[in-house]
Amino acid sequence: MSGLLYKNFRLNLASMIFSLITAAFCCLTMLLVCLFAFVLPGKTPEADDMQSLTFGFAACYFLAFWLPSMASSTLFQVDESKTCCAFAMSLPQGAKGHVEAKYYYILILNLSIMFITFVSDTVTAMMTGGMTDNTLVIVLLFALVLLLSAIEIPFMIRFGSQRGMAIKGAVVGGIIIFALLYLLFGDMSWLLESDNDPLTALMEWLQSGDMVFWLSLFPYVSVIAYYLSCRISVKIYRKGAENYEQ
Amino acid sequence: MSSSKKLTLKRLLIYLVLAFVPFYIIIPAMWSYFGEPVFICEDAVVAVYCFGVFGMMIPSFAHLITRLVTKEGFKNSFLGAYFKGKMGYWTASVIVPIGYSAVIAVLVWELYMDGVSFSDAFGNIGLQSAGILLIQIAYSVICFFPAFGEEWGWRGYMMPKLMELMPKPLAVLVGGVLWGLWHAPLTVAGHNFGVDYPGYPFVGIGMMCLMCTALNAFLTLLTERTKSVYPAAFTHALNNNINMTIWFLLFGSETAVEKLNGVTKFSLFLPMICVTAVGGIICFALLMKKEKPESAELDKAA
Repeated sequence: MSGLLYKNFRLNLASMIFSLITAAFCCLTMLLVCLFAFVLPGKTPEADDMQSLTFGFAACYFLAFWLPSMASSTLFQVDESKTCCAFAMSLPQGAKGHVEAKYYYILILNLSIMFITFVSDTVTAMMTGGMTDNTLVIVLLFALVLLLSAIEIPFMIRFGSQRGMAIKGAVVGGIIIFALLYLLFGDMSWLLESDNDPLTALMEWLQSGDMVFWLSLFPYVSVIAYYLSCRISVKIYRKGAENYEQ
Repeated sequence: MSSSKKLTLKRLLIYLVLAFVPFYIIIPAMWSYFGEPVFICEDAVVAVYCFGVFGMMIPSFAHLITRLVTKEGFKNSFLGAYFKGKMGYWTASVIVPIGYSAVIAVLVWELYMDGVSFSDAFGNIGLQSAGILLIQIAYSVICFFPAFGEEWGWRGYMMPKLMELMPKPLAVLVGGVLWGLWHAPLTVAGHNFGVDYPGYPFVGIGMMCLMCTALNAFLTLLTERTKSVYPAAFTHALNNNINMTIWFLLFGSETAVEKLNGVTKFSLFLPMICVTAVGGIICFALLMKKEKPESAELDKAA
């Protein structure tokens, strides 16, 4: 397995470096904001600053996780030929090892990004005197990226990387359209009739009643989905390999 | 002493110096800067973050530097992950810390909440509290990084070296005490028990050594049997994140939380010590048992 992992890291070195630099750059942006807004003037954030800070952090961390996941197709493109697949299947680890190594690679890459964002979040918390803490956002973004990878990878393996990416786009697009339709035609009384601003009202709704319980299942569902996705991908690998062009 | 043991001892000493010295310099320096113990000083938020995350990574850096300086290479560095036949240990690494924190919470209720029935003390059981507990457990994923920082040093380097130098039971004891002593500057600065307890700071340091020895037995068992440092890091992260207080804050009634606030940090540590000691003894016994033949194969693979 370590050999296959090494192969993935070696072949995708450029993409991996790009991912890590992107994540570091996104985090650096927030560090600089905190440096110039709070540390150098010697201020601590006030209640009014918190909303924009939280939103800014969430956006930066989202980009840190999201942009590298856009390049995930290259991981599969490099092996998308009949020769490569035949060679992978002839290895002692077989197709199972080959596919599992890809899943491990994505997991390690996302864990590395999570580490970068976590370090950045700790440093910004130190800069703002402990007023900001976005670790939960980081965990949820990590879970989201895992879930999307879990959906995307079996399609990439079965139908090729391009179609896999298209399906991922369709899933994300579908979610956005559903959200927009709900915002346009759904029951928004809980948000509009609230005394607070929409963001606070949304946070209150998320924390109300049993909603927290269903939301709390999200990271666990993502991990289970990732595991099941790996099992499915192993099973469909041979069929997918037959469709490759060369 | 054979030359290989001398070399192991030399490497271990280098590692210990590198792991201990930063803490023993930085914390007194910060104390003198802030003018009071760092962990009870309200202005020292930065220091608390710094120690909570970066301080925990010192043993890993010490491990890395020792291997590079002594040209030891990265053989037996416990960085692999082996699941075959070891899933029980991996599962235990998550279940056990959550389980014992719940047992400690029940013990705290039994010891310090006279006149409050169990249903009155834990009357807030519902989907919402369960959800927050699940979020808290998921949140431990991020605490994995600092926990790994400690585990790769203590279980990934110090314990194997100690086991080369002395019999296993003694190694677990010595390792636990060393780990506890590493925490001594934090304990003196009020991290675990505050500063106003009888016998400060020596009793606190002793308690910490005791708890670290008990925990060390479990963490060494996990690391040795799985030939990987990750299960121990998971346990450490959960141990730091899901403590007994969480159970009271989530499921406890207002009366229970009020009573809990009246109990000193030091007193709360006593039931914790009892539970971890019992767990430590069980793990100690398991650690002394001979490994199954497939573990030897795993050892070879690692």
